[in-house]
Amino acid sequence: MRQRSLIAITAALSAGALTLTACGSRDSGGDKGSDSGGTVVTIGVDAPLTGDLSALGLGIKNSVDLAANTANKQKFVEGVTFKIVAKDDQAQPSAGQQNATALVADKSVLGVVGPLNSSVAESMQKVFDDAKLVEVSPANTNPALTQGTDWAKTKKRPYTSYFRTATTDAIQGPFAAQYVYNDAKKKKVFVIDDKKTYGAGLAATFTAEFKKLGGKVVGTQHINPDAKDFSAVATEVKNSGADVVYYGGEYPQAGPLSKQIKDAGAKIPLVGGDGIYAEDFIKLAGSGASGDLATSVGAPVEDLPSAKEFVANYKAANYKEDYAAYGGYSYDSAWSIIEAVKKVVDDNGGKLPDDARAKVTAAVQNVSFDGVTGKVSFDEFGDATNKQLTVYAVENGAWKAVKSGTYSG
Amino acid sequence: MSGVGPIEPGEGTTPRDTPDSLDVEGTSRGSGHREGSPLARLLATHRRAVLAAATAVLLLAGGGYLYATRPHESQPAAAAPPFPSQVVDVTYLGGHAVPPGTRPRTFAFDVLLGVESGPAVTVTRVSQPYDGLSLTSAPPTPFRTRAGSAREIVITMHVTECGKVPRNAGLPFLDVTLRNARAIQVHSYILGPRYAQDLSEALQVACSNDSR
Repeated sequence: MRQRSLIAITAALSAGALTLTACGSRDSGGDKGSDSGGTVVTIGVDAPLTGDLSALGLGIKNSVDLAANTANKQKFVEGVTFKIVAKDDQAQPSAGQQNATALVADKSVLGVVGPLNSSVAESMQKVFDDAKLVEVSPANTNPALTQGTDWAKTKKRPYTSYFRTATTDAIQGPFAAQYVYNDAKKKKVFVIDDKKTYGAGLAATFTAEFKKLGGKVVGTQHINPDAKDFSAVATEVKNSGADVVYYGGEYPQAGPLSKQIKDAGAKIPLVGGDGIYAEDFIKLAGSGASGDLATSVGAPVEDLPSAKEFVANYKAANYKEDYAAYGGYSYDSAWSIIEAVKKVVDDNGGKLPDDARAKVTAAVQNVSFDGVTGKVSFDEFGDATNKQLTVYAVENGAWKAVKSGTYSG
Repeated sequence: MSGVGPIEPGEGTTPRDTPDSLDVEGTSRGSGHREGSPLARLLATHRRAVLAAATAVLLLAGGGYLYATRPHESQPAAAAPPFPSQVVDVTYLGGHAVPPGTRPRTFAFDVLLGVESGPAVTVTRVSQPYDGLSLTSAPPTPFRTRAGSAREIVITMHVTECGKVPRNAGLPFLDVTLRNARAIQVHSYILGPRYAQDLSEALQVACSNDSR
């Protein structure tokens, strides 16, 4: 009888213990995942982790970290544990190139996610390509990076190790022009850029399409990316009679530029690309930013059922910074490397081959999976096959999606 | 072993010998209820059954708690259908010959609209953004397309005012209003360079002096 009592009590205690255990082991989403095995594969991250653009850069880094942790937790690649090494390029091409060299020197690095800036990517591409180390950018939009400098006439891929999950400015600029001309009914534009690869390139693709649609460019100007005083340009805009300003560049300059243009008396919207689609733009531009527009890569996260889990897991992981404009694309960039590593390991009897970097690069070309941002795969130039864009407007102090489009050409 | 008898009662013995083995209300207060309470008597009589039932209840409660508080990720999907723009593809097929006798400055294209997954999607409107151009579709809107299927649509355009159409837009698109169980959305489908070129050529022809 005592034995029976003991069994009963033990069972009851076990149930309680199980309950408590369940409480204790609740998935926090923020743990670092479990080791999947002995081989450590490093995914490099290069982005501006300090400075004006760090809000975007830290979102990239955290999202890659989340992807690596998720792969480890799932034991996605048997025998492989992923870790990340993040390097700060401060949005400077020279720093980016040094980071690329350092990442190449680390033999455990089999892929790199980044950078944010197209100008930084230009300085890194050859370093990675010489080492056959794959690079997947979640944010670079300049068309030349994948299609060559003469992309408008003849597309030619310069580096087979370079890929991106973001849509290019060959689509973003014209999409913005179509919206500004047809939907916003603006016919006279003043175009400003920051002379950088991204900004000047985006302004050029916008301008070309705006003109084709019948719009008039009433003025152009370039600004210094290090400047904060744009009063002279603002006055020029005011005097030009423009009904809209297009700015090719990033939010640290775009915010003050928008504010100073309005302060100068030109109550006209400023329009930009993904480089100004950030909360900080609204903070910098102030209350006059209402009606300003930005295009950005991808569909709004809330429209993507595939992004729901990412958003929840990111939140659960308690990262300090928001995943920002490129979080989903960064996760997908990292996951394309993880998928490629899995393919290479599986094809080699469960181990990494000696020429793992070259094989991972080749495998990235052929990945195809359902990612945060939809289906992820790459075309013959290394560009994402999934090309979606959204126009956002500042309304009541926040960005609000007003129109989305999909490129299916 | 010591001659004081079994510590535990044997099979069939009553638990009256071990009244404190259960701390049930009414049994531990030292009143006359110890012997006389119907509940106590019931418990005493069916001690094993009560123990088994209590264990079962605890296990069920534990299991229930585990189930109710299981990690969110393992829950079945909440089954919110996808937004229609995320499951609809529109691709350009090519030019479409208009029937003889069609009014001048009219041309047509074939596009393919497919629904990848989720509930059926109804197209309630197809339009294009230029002021000098009108558009009709065949089948006419609204039309419904089920998941996993695609349908060919003839887009017929008529130039109403040549001065209000761009002759060589690089990235023209169609605006398609989509409705499914989740939402109504207007989505732009940018049909690519071949469509841009064909549209441009059609507009050039439609608005050339000869066609006036």
